[in-house]
Amino acid sequence: MAMNKKEVPLIEIRDIAHLYNGKKVLEIPHLSFTRGKIYAVLGQNGSGKTTLLGILGLLLKPTSGRVFIEGKDVYSTQSLINDSRAMMTTVIQNPILFDTTVDKNIDFGLRMRGKTKEERRNIVEECLKMVRLDGFQKRKANELSGGESQRIAIARALAIRPQVLFLDEFTSNVDEKSIEVLEDVIKKVNQYYGSTVFLVTHDTHQAYKLADEVINLFDGKVVQSSLENLFKGAVTRVNDISIFDTGKMKMEVVTDREGIVYAAINPRDIVVSLQPLSSSARNSFHGKINKIFDDRSSLRLSIKAGEQFKVKITKESFIEMKLSVGSKVYLTFKSTAVEVF
Amino acid sequence: MDYLVKGLTTALKLIFTFDPEVMNCTWVSLKVSSVAILLASLIGIPLGFLIGSNEFKGKRTTITLFNTLMALPTVVVGLFVFSFISRQGPLGVLGLLFTPTAMVIGQFILATPIIIALSISAIQGIDPRVRITAITLGARSYQVVTTIMREARFAIMAAIIAGFGRIIGEVGSAMMLGGNIRGYTRSITTAIALETSKGEFSLGLALGIILLTVALSVNIILRYLQQKTS
Repeated sequence: MAMNKKEVPLIEIRDIAHLYNGKKVLEIPHLSFTRGKIYAVLGQNGSGKTTLLGILGLLLKPTSGRVFIEGKDVYSTQSLINDSRAMMTTVIQNPILFDTTVDKNIDFGLRMRGKTKEERRNIVEECLKMVRLDGFQKRKANELSGGESQRIAIARALAIRPQVLFLDEFTSNVDEKSIEVLEDVIKKVNQYYGSTVFLVTHDTHQAYKLADEVINLFDGKVVQSSLENLFKGAVTRVNDISIFDTGKMKMEVVTDREGIVYAAINPRDIVVSLQPLSSSARNSFHGKINKIFDDRSSLRLSIKAGEQFKVKITKESFIEMKLSVGSKVYLTFKSTAVEVF
Repeated sequence: MDYLVKGLTTALKLIFTFDPEVMNCTWVSLKVSSVAILLASLIGIPLGFLIGSNEFKGKRTTITLFNTLMALPTVVVGLFVFSFISRQGPLGVLGLLFTPTAMVIGQFILATPIIIALSISAIQGIDPRVRITAITLGARSYQVVTTIMREARFAIMAAIIAGFGRIIGEVGSAMMLGGNIRGYTRSITTAIALETSKGEFSLGLALGIILLTVALSVNIILRYLQQKTS
């Protein structure tokens, strides 16, 4: 029985490993992605984000493993690779514009697809409006500012109406105004064109603000915990209890490992209170709120408590506790909430 | 001094009255060098693209070889081609010696390494992101190539002009392979050498002025292109 298009994951990767100069830079047993969502790939520099994006965007063939597009093993035939590539596009980090006019840059993909001059002109105009650079058609690409170039690069990608759009650090080296415009464009493209969007970013706030799902990468592997609270430190065992020490704070963790490790705590697993909690949770810190971010449905607080913690709370709790920047709060979480790797 | 002034006046008169001898030599030079540069470009640019855009064992040595061949002495090329097309040579039966075709062969050998070496550097100078971007926007293999070539267009044109500049002014191979036959293989440079040795200073000077004008035009175009690329 033929499966409904919606039931088949748009992209699925299985047993992926990628080596670079003999070193394993990515290892993912399984990931699947649904059509129409916004995904963010979050991780530090060197965590394998761009490699994953390259594999998903079919720019990079993994050393081993399989990539499925709409249920089909994409590397089985060249025509499948070509057809799959035609439905997606990637805006690479620090994209380059061709040495010509803005309109010739934007209609590049359309020319490759044999679109007529009239069609190209209309689409260029529409895409320029979308990135709020109307009237830039005849400008020389090499005379644009960094922010304008980035917006044109995204307009160029949008011109081909991609079913899947990959964006690698699309707001790095871009001015505040352009960031705002581009984030708005991403949402519109997803809503109106139904494009599935993949963002690679190291900006946690941006990832959670824009994405429906966030994939956290650490050292080439997907980790379950959000990497917003990622700490490096040493684990020592004291009376059968594992203590993780960063030098600025100590906390109890559950692990068999000892020595230098990374520990991550999901912001959702940290309870914020004005008074110390009487609970079984083994870790409690006193700290001060120094930043507040609005994440659509909830709020993210940045709290200095030895280390810098990120905590997610509902808007209702925030109002109820009358919190603001400078408020002193208690952070409480279980030792099992800490993922050690 | 009078000798120089008289020579220059006569030379200008020869140019502006379209003296048949002067025009003929100019035509031979332009024809031979244009055909040679066209052929050298047809071979040199794709080869430069292949070498510049691919990684292979011995790439550095290959590039060094072409860089060295850029300075190939014209008489050595003349001698080399002569040894093949002279009556006793392996290609002697073709009867190419002392024909414009022989001159084209010599100039082709001189220009090709220049075009290859400069095309390699033009292609290597193109940001690798151009290729990736073209692929991400759905360009097929041949479209990727044309996109890269379009980005490198000014540097590649500069390569062609540099090659042309080299061969339009060479005398060694043109003399040895063309034989300096009046009205047939006598080019600007071979005519200058001959006429000056005969004491026809004015004619030599007139041809020298034309050659310099051609060289100047080539340099003006080259400079314009370099400014445009930077």
